[in-house]
Amino acid sequence: MTALQEAPAEKANASPPPQRKNRFRRDRSLLLMVIPAVVLLVVFNYVPMFGTATAFQNYSIYAGFLHSPWVGLETFRMLFSDPLFWHSLENTLVLSLVQLVFYFPIPIALAMLLHSVLNTKIRTFVQSVVYLPHFFSWVLAVTIFQQMLGGAGALNQFLRGHGLATWDIMTNPDTFKILITSQVVWKEAGWGIIVFLAALAAIDQQLYEAAAADGAGRWRRMWHITLPGIRGVIVLMLVLRLGNVLTVGFEQLLIQRDAVGREAAEVLDTYAYYYGVVNANFSLGAAASLFKGVFSLVLILAANKIAHLMGEDGLYRR
Amino acid sequence: MKLDRRQLLALTGLGAASGLLAACGDAKTSSGPGTTTQDQLSKLLPAYTPNELVKADIPSATGANGFFSSPTFLKYPDNPVTTSTGVPGKGGAYTTITPLWGAIPSASGNAYYAAVNQALGATLKLQPADGNNYDKILPTLFAGDKLPDWIQIPSWNMGNLGFADAVNKFADLGPYLSGDAIKAYPNLAAIPTSAWQCCIWNGKLFGLPVYYSGATIAGTLFHRQDLLAKQGINPDEIKTPDDLAALGKQLTDAQAGHWAFDDIFDGLGQVYKFPVDPNRWVIDADGKIINRYETPGIIEALNWFQTQAKAGYVHPDALTDKKQEAKQRFWSGKTAITSDGPGAWKGDDAKSGKAANPTYERQAFKLLSADGKPEIWMNPSAGMYSFLNAKLSGDQIKECLAIANYLAAPYGSAEYLTVNFGVPGTDYTMVDGNPVLTERGSKEVATSYQFLVTPLTPTTVIAGQTQVAQDYAAWEADMVKYAAKPAFYGMNITEPAQYARINQPMVDLVKDIRYGRKPVSAFQEGLKTWKAQGGDQLRAFYEDIRSKYGTGQ
Repeated sequence: MTALQEAPAEKANASPPPQRKNRFRRDRSLLLMVIPAVVLLVVFNYVPMFGTATAFQNYSIYAGFLHSPWVGLETFRMLFSDPLFWHSLENTLVLSLVQLVFYFPIPIALAMLLHSVLNTKIRTFVQSVVYLPHFFSWVLAVTIFQQMLGGAGALNQFLRGHGLATWDIMTNPDTFKILITSQVVWKEAGWGIIVFLAALAAIDQQLYEAAAADGAGRWRRMWHITLPGIRGVIVLMLVLRLGNVLTVGFEQLLIQRDAVGREAAEVLDTYAYYYGVVNANFSLGAAASLFKGVFSLVLILAANKIAHLMGEDGLYRR
Repeated sequence: MKLDRRQLLALTGLGAASGLLAACGDAKTSSGPGTTTQDQLSKLLPAYTPNELVKADIPSATGANGFFSSPTFLKYPDNPVTTSTGVPGKGGAYTTITPLWGAIPSASGNAYYAAVNQALGATLKLQPADGNNYDKILPTLFAGDKLPDWIQIPSWNMGNLGFADAVNKFADLGPYLSGDAIKAYPNLAAIPTSAWQCCIWNGKLFGLPVYYSGATIAGTLFHRQDLLAKQGINPDEIKTPDDLAALGKQLTDAQAGHWAFDDIFDGLGQVYKFPVDPNRWVIDADGKIINRYETPGIIEALNWFQTQAKAGYVHPDALTDKKQEAKQRFWSGKTAITSDGPGAWKGDDAKSGKAANPTYERQAFKLLSADGKPEIWMNPSAGMYSFLNAKLSGDQIKECLAIANYLAAPYGSAEYLTVNFGVPGTDYTMVDGNPVLTERGSKEVATSYQFLVTPLTPTTVIAGQTQVAQDYAAWEADMVKYAAKPAFYGMNITEPAQYARINQPMVDLVKDIRYGRKPVSAFQEGLKTWKAQGGDQLRAFYEDIRSKYGTGQ
């Protein structure tokens, strides 16, 4: 630590050194607290990045990274000439778009709704109830959906019992994207409100009082105080979401893929799993994942740039 | 706990993806297709000397093509004999890794481990690993050069390993076991030739067979005898797929939550004569090598199953590919006809089923056929094998083989009781003449030593269900009459890696069709792509194998 802190001080001894030293002393405990997170990030996110080398090799587990033959861009050529890959990319993007439109606004609306509930007991209760599904695994969540809405589930057995036509929800490829999004809403919307509630709590209450005194109604207060107050956070979440546009819930889709078939449910992650891991073509899997990583990075940088142009902070303050 | 291959697959959730399991090695580094000629085989195979200790209550029945049913024992002998002379081990210590499907027992204070190690005169440091994720730990063991002294590898985990290469990390056991050399290990000499044949790669004897039998099958069609009887159906009259289809309407009452069929598509393989895993190729009447996807049978089977699915005679959850819940559906009577591995028909199944429904009774249909000529293709005799590390010295290998000889002691011996049930009084007690695990025993005794090598698997009474053992024996004795060798039987062929991926779209397409999402006519289009993407080249690969190594039939 001392080396890190002094090295720059020696080089550029003129301008910032005194403050830097002071700042380090001031933030010492905070920096210490951040170390475990940095170590985790390095070990589990940065070190495995060397594995992307396999995308340019014909990787064999017996030869390892060091001795597997280099094949340059051959694997990518194979990947880009595979119609199944493009189909999975298309599925991923469409699903992402559907989720952006139908999932993204829900936690915001829910947070504003909860925020307007003044009784803290009711608020805490509702909050706990909507958080809960987040802690279920996808296996459990999908099982619950299957038990309730599946072909032999509660709903359809009720319909059968009353001589009505059954409703195919869990195995209909045409409505699969809506099903997936509904599951995400059910499971994650409650959890998603946390960050928005925090942003709402940061809005100065006096603004509301002043506006109310000036005769602004509920809607006007929401439009002119609440929404502008949390706009920064909304933009931040949107930028992050765009960076993750190619990640649409690997586990959730893997579990349900065979119930609706490959054409409806294959996304980039399941493609990489089936053709990379299951078929032991690790190079192809690595190439698909690297493509996804680069694509996401470009997206997140672009979205961040747009945020900055709109005068928002985005991921970081300029 | 004994599991057959298909159960294991279902447990690993790989049942669906099993089309891939037998595939591939790395083309760039592969030393060859892994298989061996008949000439070489005859030089390598150990001499066979049977040593049945106790007379079976229901003796093994001899079937077609040299296949035979398992001997059935209804009661353990009162005074078990010791088959080996003295203590096999010389005090050596060896690490072992074996898969385990179930809770991994604690090694400290484990009376069972201690008792077996003492009897062996050596310390086996057992490291059972989760069987469901075994395919994921194996590559790291190979890549990191962290292989233990003794390891078990199931055949369905070999696909990812490029096994023709991987096997070179293990000791060549030929010098110790081939021909008459095996007579130094009488219990190993009693392992039938068909099981040893599975243990040979690249013209060398590498493996020790684990849980093998005289007629190993992937699975068959089961029915709930009690539910059929209630409808006045005689299962012996069900002989053709049309007969079976007629049961669909009779046994389905969706309002009450009863459906006739589970996802029995794999079970239709024997009915319509298309090979199911691990078999994939057929030689047709003209001598042409054709893939399972090119057989006329698979299309008929797709037609049959899609018709039942669309008519609403298949349980809706089964149409979402949830195979892991199939047993619960069968136990609880939500389905009446299912397809499963032969290991599903055991005493513990009857116990679980009767807990859900006291009248529960599982039976298997006698083999059905579409053309009046029933036939069932056999799996390789053994589906799992153990290997000794090539780094062991000659003396160490001999010590391990002596230990293996102890572990392979046949049913009825004193050793068999120790290896399978541990310490009398502590881990098991005799109930009605059969060993039953105590509560402590069921925590300590896991399938661990048995996954290194076993004697010929007998049919025994489990959980006190004598009738189940008798029924199974009768069915198996009938089944072996129709046993046949599929193409490339037991040849341990490692396919080149680049063909692994062409099968996945077919696996997906077959599911799309049988679950009714696509018309049967969509199959031909998929098949055309399969051929163009490498299916025809794969056929050429097998034609080459046929000309150089034969067909194994």
